[in-house]
Amino acid sequence: MTSRAKFALVDCNNFYASCERVFEPKLEGRPIVVLSNNDGCIIARSNEAKALGIKMGVPYFKVRDLIVRNGVVVKSSNYPLYGDMSSRVMRVISQYSPIQEVYSIDESFIDLAGLPFHLRNHMQSLRQKVKSWTGVPVCVGIGSTKVLAKLANRIAKKYIKFNGVFDIDELPYERYCKLLQSVEVVDLWGIGRQSARKLNRIGISSSYDFYQADIGVIETLLGVNGKKVYQELYGNSCVPIESIPPTRQQIVSSRSFGSDLKDFHELNQALTSLARKAVNKLNDHKLATTTITVFIYTNPHKKNKTCIHLSKTVGMTTAIQDESQLIPLIAKILKLIYKPGYSFYKGGIVLSNLVKNYPQQDLFLTNEDNQRKIDSTNKSNAIRSVNKRFNESLKYASEVGNDKWKPRADFRSNRYTTSWTELLVI
Amino acid sequence: MNMHSHGGARKGAGRKKNSGSFKEETKVLRVPISLVDSITPSIEMYKSQIKSGVEVLLTKNNATELLIPIFTSRVQAGFPSPADDHLEDTLDLNTHLIHHQEATFFVKAQGDSMIGAGIHQGDILIVDKSLTPKSGKIVIAVVDGEFTVKRLHKYKGNITLKAENPEFENIKIRGTDELIIWGVVTSVIHQYD
Repeated sequence: MTSRAKFALVDCNNFYASCERVFEPKLEGRPIVVLSNNDGCIIARSNEAKALGIKMGVPYFKVRDLIVRNGVVVKSSNYPLYGDMSSRVMRVISQYSPIQEVYSIDESFIDLAGLPFHLRNHMQSLRQKVKSWTGVPVCVGIGSTKVLAKLANRIAKKYIKFNGVFDIDELPYERYCKLLQSVEVVDLWGIGRQSARKLNRIGISSSYDFYQADIGVIETLLGVNGKKVYQELYGNSCVPIESIPPTRQQIVSSRSFGSDLKDFHELNQALTSLARKAVNKLNDHKLATTTITVFIYTNPHKKNKTCIHLSKTVGMTTAIQDESQLIPLIAKILKLIYKPGYSFYKGGIVLSNLVKNYPQQDLFLTNEDNQRKIDSTNKSNAIRSVNKRFNESLKYASEVGNDKWKPRADFRSNRYTTSWTELLVI
Repeated sequence: MNMHSHGGARKGAGRKKNSGSFKEETKVLRVPISLVDSITPSIEMYKSQIKSGVEVLLTKNNATELLIPIFTSRVQAGFPSPADDHLEDTLDLNTHLIHHQEATFFVKAQGDSMIGAGIHQGDILIVDKSLTPKSGKIVIAVVDGEFTVKRLHKYKGNITLKAENPEFENIKIRGTDELIIWGVVTSVIHQYD
């Protein structure tokens, strides 16, 4: 056997709520909930809010009474702030290991194998540094596989006596079994809801049942991925760290509208704005798209109304990478699918079949066409630079209108770290 | 000596010289794979430039992005600049003012309790959260949940947050007060109207 693998999972404590507290210290100790786009559902809770029994994912209006009664602080999601704070946290974490995988906005795996440090002390110092540099509290789980590191993180979060760092490999065998008994199988990293349902059906409900099951049964039931989780519980590392993020397969830009839209031009206005967001992402990743999907829905939760779901996908001969080409196309597709008389509550675009954005030669274009294409790319770049510097001041004509579509964000905090006009005032 | 009167290369056969997409002689070059992505677009763009006969202006998206100066290779006339050997990076205020990027935040000053330290209403303060707050430093402090900017004084276990304006009271920290030093102010940006 080669030298033993060792991983740590660094996970921010209630990340969104913690970000809000960095810039509003008086929220410390108070219950906080963060709402999804358009202020629909609860997507994050502080410990105090969890203790009040507010569940993840419930619609805001359903718990509004509970929230008002208990003085819970409500925030609309502020992704510019969370994104910037996340990249700060991730960069500090990267100082502690040469190999890092940023797993999500608030979680990161790092490889600890072969590091010449006392690992628990090393991770304690990571924890203190992230907290003092960024203000965000984190917990660290250590284990010889990623599944174990994730499990260890649960313990580090749950029991104060470990001071935020827990190494699961230090647990004696009986205690480890006890721990597995207390964790439901659906809470294991890599076991989704679907897999858990299959396991429950054959009587496996706790992680310990899973651990004791026959490997052949697991493999036939869940396939190779389930087998990997199983083996990782035994300490055999099967899922390596992915330090290079996979290239994006598609870019989705969609929103629930602030109020339902009926009019073609209102829809087109919303989609134009979403198209510009998607193109920005496209350019950030230096990609171009060859397939565009436009979709609009009516609200499926409204009673006595038929729910319709309209969409169309269009492929192109040359890759598109700037909005002056994309926006007219989207209007055309929308014209094809749009039906008058319905109230649409959600819409968006999907860009797929992404390719690297080399300037591509189209065989059927003349010199003038090519020149026009280059001009339009330059123009789009210029517009983008202006908007970056002057806070979205340039708009396309189809984007201008009544802003009825704009998602609600009634309780958003300032974009303290990404906008000069919204800095913290002291 | 005419050994063979037939066979071999015929004069004028094959592709005409300088007839490729570049209209000039080309050269095979070994390129590290990691640079392929950054070099190919410039070549492609150069190609379309020649084809259309119009010069392409590159818009620079990112100041830190390195552009490969492939377009300058056409300029051959004239004397080389005597300053060429002395070219240095331009001065970057970020590297001058920010030492811990991840821990640095900008905040806006309000009021004039710190006017003696050169902090005016509306100034932007550069705050480094990673620094240990030593006595004498200007700090962003949180007293009972509220932000304030003051000069920190520690003496024999007594902590005072001092204002730099005689019209303002100092804040003496008592045992019951909750004090957090949020960050240390390293610079102030004061812009004249």
